[in-house]
Amino acid sequence: MSYAYLFKYIIIGDTGVGKSCLLLQFTDKRFQPVHDLTIGVEFGARMITIDGKQIKLQIWDTAGQEAFRSITRSYYRGAAGALLVYDITRRDTFNHLTTWLEDARQHSNSNMVIMLIGNKSDLEGRREVKREEGEAFAREHGLIFMETSAKTAANVEEAFINTAKEVYEKIQEGVFDINNEANGIKIGPQHSPTNPSLPSGGQGGMQGGGCC
Amino acid sequence: MEYFKSGLKSVLGAPQPGQQPSGADTVERLIQRVQTSTLLEDRRDACRALKALSKTYRLEVGAHGMDTLCYELVQDRNDSETIGYTLDALCNVLSPETFEEEEERGTDSVGGQFTEIFIKQSQNVTLVLEMLEEFEFHVRWPAVKLLSSMLAHRAREVQELVLTSPMGVSKLMDLLSDSREVIRNDALLLLISLTKGNANIQKIVAFENAFDRLFEVIASEGGLDGGIVVEDCLLLMYNLLRANPSNQNFFKEGSFIQKLTPMLQPGSEDGWAAQRAANCHALLQVLRTLVAPANPAQATSACQQIMRGSGLLGSLSDSLMASGVPADVLTETVCAVAEVMRGCGENQTFFSQVMAPSNPPRPALVVLLMSMVNEKQPLALRCAVLYCFQCFLHRNQDGQAQLAQTLLPATTEQVSGVTSGTLLCGGLFSPDTLTNWFSCVALSHSLVDNPGTKEQLLRVQLAPAEGHPGVHLLPQCLALLQQAQRPQTRLGLLQLLAQWLAHCSAAVGHLLSTPNAVAHLTAVVCDVSEEELVRGLSAFVLGLCVAFNDDAVVSFGRLALVQLINKRIGTEAFLDRVADVTRHEAYAKAAKHPQPTAATVADLLLDHEFCRLLKALENVVARAVAPKPEEVVEQVGSAQYKVLIRQQDEQLAQLSRQLSQVTVERDHLAAQVSQLAAQVAQLRDQNSVLKAAADEGGLQARVAELQQQVAKAAADQEDLLELMDDQEAKLTKYRNRLKQLGEKVEDDDEVEDEVAALTAQVVIN
Repeated sequence: MSYAYLFKYIIIGDTGVGKSCLLLQFTDKRFQPVHDLTIGVEFGARMITIDGKQIKLQIWDTAGQEAFRSITRSYYRGAAGALLVYDITRRDTFNHLTTWLEDARQHSNSNMVIMLIGNKSDLEGRREVKREEGEAFAREHGLIFMETSAKTAANVEEAFINTAKEVYEKIQEGVFDINNEANGIKIGPQHSPTNPSLPSGGQGGMQGGGCC
Repeated sequence: MEYFKSGLKSVLGAPQPGQQPSGADTVERLIQRVQTSTLLEDRRDACRALKALSKTYRLEVGAHGMDTLCYELVQDRNDSETIGYTLDALCNVLSPETFEEEEERGTDSVGGQFTEIFIKQSQNVTLVLEMLEEFEFHVRWPAVKLLSSMLAHRAREVQELVLTSPMGVSKLMDLLSDSREVIRNDALLLLISLTKGNANIQKIVAFENAFDRLFEVIASEGGLDGGIVVEDCLLLMYNLLRANPSNQNFFKEGSFIQKLTPMLQPGSEDGWAAQRAANCHALLQVLRTLVAPANPAQATSACQQIMRGSGLLGSLSDSLMASGVPADVLTETVCAVAEVMRGCGENQTFFSQVMAPSNPPRPALVVLLMSMVNEKQPLALRCAVLYCFQCFLHRNQDGQAQLAQTLLPATTEQVSGVTSGTLLCGGLFSPDTLTNWFSCVALSHSLVDNPGTKEQLLRVQLAPAEGHPGVHLLPQCLALLQQAQRPQTRLGLLQLLAQWLAHCSAAVGHLLSTPNAVAHLTAVVCDVSEEELVRGLSAFVLGLCVAFNDDAVVSFGRLALVQLINKRIGTEAFLDRVADVTRHEAYAKAAKHPQPTAATVADLLLDHEFCRLLKALENVVARAVAPKPEEVVEQVGSAQYKVLIRQQDEQLAQLSRQLSQVTVERDHLAAQVSQLAAQVAQLRDQNSVLKAAADEGGLQARVAELQQQVAKAAADQEDLLELMDDQEAKLTKYRNRLKQLGEKVEDDDEVEDEVAALTAQVVIN
């Protein structure tokens, strides 16, 4: 149960691109062909190992519908990683990426790692967005890119784990301030420095709360 | 000063117009000043004055000044003092309280009406939320209070507005880290009302590390021994978790359950301050919401496992047995233990082994049941114990069997003293009707979905007094049913019987062979003066006797009972009586939640499990009692068919066993055959190869042999020819000699022939 780090993730993208299915495949290792529309936000969690360290991923799967946009925006600020998902069989979901990215960049902290994911790679026959286009978009905006299939589980593990690796590297480089929980990173209970909770440090964090 | 002025007015009466500016005029003038003054100082002074007047002239300030005050929030945003006054004034106007000094006491909902006006402009709410980011105390604090006032009046709308304003909830969450306790505490109250009934806000608050914050605050306030702030923290936690599976999952995954355990440790010193009791109550609510029966089963069982593993169930059991626990906390603890073990085998086993520190030591369960059958205990506690016992037996076949075991003769001799079984059976005979009811319902739970205990309890005998011959439990219940006057006792007994008879033909047989049983039930169903529920339940029990009748009792076979019901009660009337139960208020209440609750003793009538049984078997009973014509025919023969079907089943099973055996054999043989065929083919090949090899070798040898023979023969022939020539020469010589000697010589021809024959012989050879 113990972990060295805890990372908070969010999954964003248009409705129906398979965000909830990606999460289900990652946490429960199963695929549900018919999935209810996500209302607001749903939570999932799993433990992974990076560099020999246990890392707990807490993932918030958001609703893609426009109606929930203002709710889902509340989750950007406290996340360390984001999976931005589109559907390779629906060009419009790819076209909306710019809007999503702007939204994310505006509301999140600047260090948030964003992974671009082209989902439904098992439906090669109905492909509308070429892999090269996804790669180009990712290169242009400084994102990591991967094509996945929540159905066959192809690359699903990799998507979550590679994002975590990136966050982990940023911690090692000192880019993230790990004592500020608003970054979406927490140190495990027994891994914290001398004092586990910092009750008096709250004020500074609170004043600078609107850092974005 | 204003207060003094208004006090004067109320003493002297309203001032004459023209003499002195009225309050309303003053307010009007101040509002104008805020609108028109170019100097910040003037506007600030006017705002301060408006704030001072906003209690006394609440209506005027609200009605005329609302827009101005809102505008002021934008206009002088950088002057925290002015903003502070403005917010204070708005606070008073929107407040849910009624002020003493208020001049015109309007209706109660003045604040509500002004709130409605205020939030009509959604940017006003956003504006107030932005004010929260201001660190100045006299801005931030009234902003918190203003939001609280709005939520008190228009929770739903304000919740939606907070959700739609960017980072609204996040800003509120930051307040929990404010070092100024007043703000932190008011923010707690604000968050409690903000999160009530809104899952989306609850999730965002949880996402913003609310649980971490709250545990920090609780720890800094001294845990359960802390003040009301601890209770507020726990209430907020409860709001965040209640009926919110996503947050519950987050709570579990974040290992927060483990943080609850140490809080349950016994208090520091002497006993239970009122606040500790309230805090403990709130804590128990929090953990109960994680294992509520209404939650998804998978989530509940995961939490239950953690609660046992982390020692929480152990701590709960300990505090259950501790002395001096206030009654309401004890009651809640019993319910918490109940839900932590409900349907979870390991936890049920754990709890069955908890011993009370009594002398002699008794199982905690027995001690609890003793308070259930004790009429001096508070009603709420007795209900809680019943619930706890029900949860212990819920999907717990072992626990059910153990209870039945304590009543069977073999073990009663060994186990001296009180057992749960003897307590409950004793409760059946108690003069207290509620004790009867509790005992019946508790016993009935040992029978739920368990054919084994239904059979076992049929063997239980009760001895009313020492030396008397024992009476079986089921006839005893029927006897009690006929003697009892009060509906509560009878309803208890009828529910016990119903659980027993369902799906158990043996129990039906026992009931039908008890004298007067059917007659009594029929009479009750027909009796118009009886209670509706008693009639309905009696009808249902009778119906179960039809539905699970295996025609073992000849006089009350299925068909006979159906005819009896039709003749004595009337089928329609009979079914109406059963349907009456499901329309009863008590049924709706009991069916809703497994926990039995009651404000008064008389409220306890129906049990949750019984309601489920009734719902499940209502149609079965209806079909059994009022079969369609073609079904009657079927039913008559159904016993025969059942036997036939059973035989055919056995035959089928046997045949399929045989078939599978034969199949295996056949496969085996087929394998052998193919193996042999392969062998044969191989051998044949080998054979032909060998044969070919053998043929070739033999011929050559033979040819050589024959050639040798031929050569030998030729040589022989040559020798013979030579020999013959010699002989011929010799012959000729001898002949000539003989001739010379004058001897008569034999026929030449003869010799010639002899020679020819010899020659021929040689040639042949």
